[in-house]
Amino acid sequence: MSKSRSMFRYAAIGLTSALALGAGAGAAHAEVKFGALYPFSGQLALLGEESARGLELAVEQINSEGGVQGEQVKLVQGDAVDNNQAIGEARRLIAREGVKAIFGTYSSSRSIAASQVAELSRIPYFELGAVAEKVTSRDLGYLYRTNPTAKDMARTIVDMIVESVAPELGMDPSELRIGIIHEDSSYGSSVAEFENKYAEEAGLNVVAEQAYPASTVDMSSIVLLLKEENVDVVLQTSYQNDSVLFLRQADEENYDPKAIIGGGGGYSMEPTAEAVGEDVIDGVLDADFTQYNVNPEFAPGVKEFVEDYKAKYDSAPRSGHSLNNYAGAMALLHAIDDADGFGPDEIREAVDAIDIPMGETAAGYGVKFGENNQNTRAKMMGMQWQDGELVTVFPEEAAVSELKLQD
Amino acid sequence: MEIVLQITANGLMLGGLYAMISVGLTLIFGITRVINFAHGEFLMVGMYIVYLVTTQLGVHPYASVLLAVPALFVMGALTQKLVIERLRNSDEHVQIFATVGLSIALINLALLIFGADIANTPSSGLRHSVGVGTVGVLTGQLVIFFSSIVLVVVLHLLLTRTRPGRAIRATAQNRAAARLMGINVSRVYVLTFGLGAACVGVAATLVAPLYPASPTIGTYFVLIAFVVVVMGGLGSITGAFIAALVIGLVDAFAGYYLGSDLKEVAVFGIFLLVLIFRPSGLFGARRNLSHVSP
Repeated sequence: MSKSRSMFRYAAIGLTSALALGAGAGAAHAEVKFGALYPFSGQLALLGEESARGLELAVEQINSEGGVQGEQVKLVQGDAVDNNQAIGEARRLIAREGVKAIFGTYSSSRSIAASQVAELSRIPYFELGAVAEKVTSRDLGYLYRTNPTAKDMARTIVDMIVESVAPELGMDPSELRIGIIHEDSSYGSSVAEFENKYAEEAGLNVVAEQAYPASTVDMSSIVLLLKEENVDVVLQTSYQNDSVLFLRQADEENYDPKAIIGGGGGYSMEPTAEAVGEDVIDGVLDADFTQYNVNPEFAPGVKEFVEDYKAKYDSAPRSGHSLNNYAGAMALLHAIDDADGFGPDEIREAVDAIDIPMGETAAGYGVKFGENNQNTRAKMMGMQWQDGELVTVFPEEAAVSELKLQD
Repeated sequence: MEIVLQITANGLMLGGLYAMISVGLTLIFGITRVINFAHGEFLMVGMYIVYLVTTQLGVHPYASVLLAVPALFVMGALTQKLVIERLRNSDEHVQIFATVGLSIALINLALLIFGADIANTPSSGLRHSVGVGTVGVLTGQLVIFFSSIVLVVVLHLLLTRTRPGRAIRATAQNRAAARLMGINVSRVYVLTFGLGAACVGVAATLVAPLYPASPTIGTYFVLIAFVVVVMGGLGSITGAFIAALVIGLVDAFAGYYLGSDLKEVAVFGIFLLVLIFRPSGLFGARRNLSHVSP
């Protein structure tokens, strides 16, 4: 096809879809455009780019399988460096590039801002990685989220205590004295709020709760408090510096709880383990997005994903973000493939019909959208630091190693 | 009782840390009267120097003092020479914003070079706990505490017993009169800024083995450092030391009895009370170096 002809075709498609909005353009296109809206520069660039790579790999795989509805997918990047630019880029993708849907965004605040633009233009917005509850709690009709949230993190942590930690210790869950500590921004506070809620429902005994500013330089008073309350299981939701600080100070003040469970953040990061040392991090538990040390029978395709990733980017994945974006994007792209066109309502209808059971995506969790278009089958995984590596230990079907707690 | 002793020990160690970081700031603040908002980033740069020297050359972190102190001295002197001095005749706000700009530039430079991850200086046994009975502190914390006393004494002697020290104090007291007495005022400012930054170099060397470096680590310390400096009386080095101990103890006791989310309420509440009842700081009236100048 000559270049000018395809240009004409894009213009025509843009025009018809702008006029017909949802009526379905119907014509057979050779290429369909989707937006990839992530923070590609600025402070969040590292994990923003990592997330986008998951989407890129999904699109590459779909294209090699023949594309969606017979058309090759073309990703158009938008750089959501801050909230304002996220809005601007969403407008550009929709109005100038004529994308049929937007995928993103990693950052919750960027997602919240940009998805409003998409909603007004009636363009489906697929969130694959932002964790704040508020992303899906705004009654938007065109926003879908595939990844698990802060709530799911708390859920996994409490389930892990009841189903694995307590039996491993040979204790009844209600006998355990639980302490919750968290940094006091919305991330730590919201996870802690749900931890409290689910702990109460499960009949757990929360004896201490303490918020602290993430910029703290001394946590000795928190360690003293947990010691005084004889806390057996510490739940911490934290960034990197405060994770390191707590693990170090607890060790130095000879505070040795039966289990420490982190909520993602600093607990999932290799530099944290390096900073506190293997002997201190060993045995520490963590709940987060699916990582790579996971049972491939539960997460079919995870090994292939890592191989494709290495082949394309010449390095191992830097975090689980790419995997979760990949798994979400694959489910959505397959659904769009089955739709009767690229109109927003055709896409919505196809996506609403997705019904993938647990254990059939590369991230392990299934996909089925429920209230507020949140994926009701999205789950965080329980992991443990064992011999310097973060390995999946919970739930059992995803585990590659047994949860071990030494006395 | 054991708890109270342990909290007191923690508070004193924290106070020593705050003192260590604040002396350089009070020196610069009290004498050049420039509010250096890049102070925390000086500390961050120093910590990265210690990290690089320790991990690349495999030496004890304390050995890197030989590089960190001169490097920070030069950095401070250049800041005065190239940034502040050029704004000498501008409004004070302009000088303040210049240091804010410097701070942002340094943080983002560090992000560019080192990335957002933490850089961990090996602790070389400095995280070893020592103590009496059940009360324990880290060797590295003890070193910081006693070094801060030594640093305060040395600076005091330097300012009172040496010619450059007397020139510095004269300049602080009255810039115009000092110039009439033949003192090269702009050189004194460069020297003071360098000296203040060199103190940060000492602090960075001692702090790096205990706290991992990251581009934003300076912001963790700098707010408390300002509180300490103002509470101690601008420019008063002993005042800053005592204020740091007070803040450290308040921080530790409030952290335990009120909770970590409320401890800053206690710290800043006391700070407000000091400002209301002694606006020139705890030791401002007696030893303030800057109260005479126009």
